[in-house]
Amino acid sequence: MAAPSLLRGGLRRLFAGLWGRGWASPPARALREGESGTGGTIEGKIIEDAAAPTPPNPSGQCPICRWNLKHKYDYVDVLLLSQFIRSDGGMLPRRTTGLCLEEHKKIAVCVQMAHRAGLLPNHRPRLPEGHTPKKPKLNRYLTRWSVRSAKPIWKRGPKWCKVPMPVGHPLLKDNVKYTHKFLNFNH
Amino acid sequence: MASYTKAAQQWATFARAWYLLDAKMQPPGKIAAATVIRLEGRHKPIYHALSDCGDHVVIINTRHIAFSGNKWEQKVYSSHTGYPGGFKQVTATQLHLKDPTAIVKLAVYRMLPKNLQRRTMMQRLHLFPEDVIPEDIEKNLLQEIPQPRAVPRRLDEYTPEEIAAFPRVWTPPKDFRRK
Repeated sequence: MAAPSLLRGGLRRLFAGLWGRGWASPPARALREGESGTGGTIEGKIIEDAAAPTPPNPSGQCPICRWNLKHKYDYVDVLLLSQFIRSDGGMLPRRTTGLCLEEHKKIAVCVQMAHRAGLLPNHRPRLPEGHTPKKPKLNRYLTRWSVRSAKPIWKRGPKWCKVPMPVGHPLLKDNVKYTHKFLNFNH
Repeated sequence: MASYTKAAQQWATFARAWYLLDAKMQPPGKIAAATVIRLEGRHKPIYHALSDCGDHVVIINTRHIAFSGNKWEQKVYSSHTGYPGGFKQVTATQLHLKDPTAIVKLAVYRMLPKNLQRRTMMQRLHLFPEDVIPEDIEKNLLQEIPQPRAVPRRLDEYTPEEIAAFPRVWTPPKDFRRK
């Protein structure tokens, strides 16, 4: 199907061997023709990633268990969360990453909260034209529901039965706490 | 205490101090809790409710406060003008866009003790939506109150060395295409 000179799967970065310009985004499935005057062929080298360091617990079933991170991550740990997302912000499928179901759900929830908190500014969905998306004017964090779906609570009720405002997500209730404060999911 | 004159010690103990608090990316409830302690004077060992020992607090960047959860959409501020049909309800978003200092002001007002000194303590609170402060207030500032919430770092605020130092938790299969 694809000629050897085309990009194949497994290729992470295109090494611009014969291009005079700097690195550009790799073509998805097309044959990029050579620039005029450079010779006309493109060389693509498959660069193998450096071998990943051995995890502390190699007998774990999912990456989180292998690295002993089971109850230890939150929406703030962007370095970990960014390994499980696509460039437009969506989650990678579980059969690719190898996560178990509950950890996949927890990571998905943390990624959602990180997006809403604005911690992943470069993982935005690609828009067709040059339509600039409007910047969010309000800062938020630990948002459980999406911004458009939350409705105002016009009547909160008396003190003994107040309608709560949810914060965080109950999937993360088993996270390790380093303070003695009670983790409140309803404010 | 060892080498100060009695007059200097007295002055330093009973003078009214000016504190600065940056509310950028902070929840207004925790901001209010920190300011109320200073406004009442509870941070001083000489505190007494009747001795008017509160300090001034200047809060900047109130336009950039951050609510946890969906409170921007869910929290409702209600008031009544006193006239029939005058019950007004606005969401936190609408109130913040109309007046960027109102949310912090209401939070502090409702957290202060409900006595006659509340109004004098509110007069000692100074709110500014951005970090532009009048010169005469800026000259009075003594100390900055630490921020109650640790602001998390965005992904683009990490250096490439830190990103490279973080281990890859999973290895993609050979036929994986990263989009």
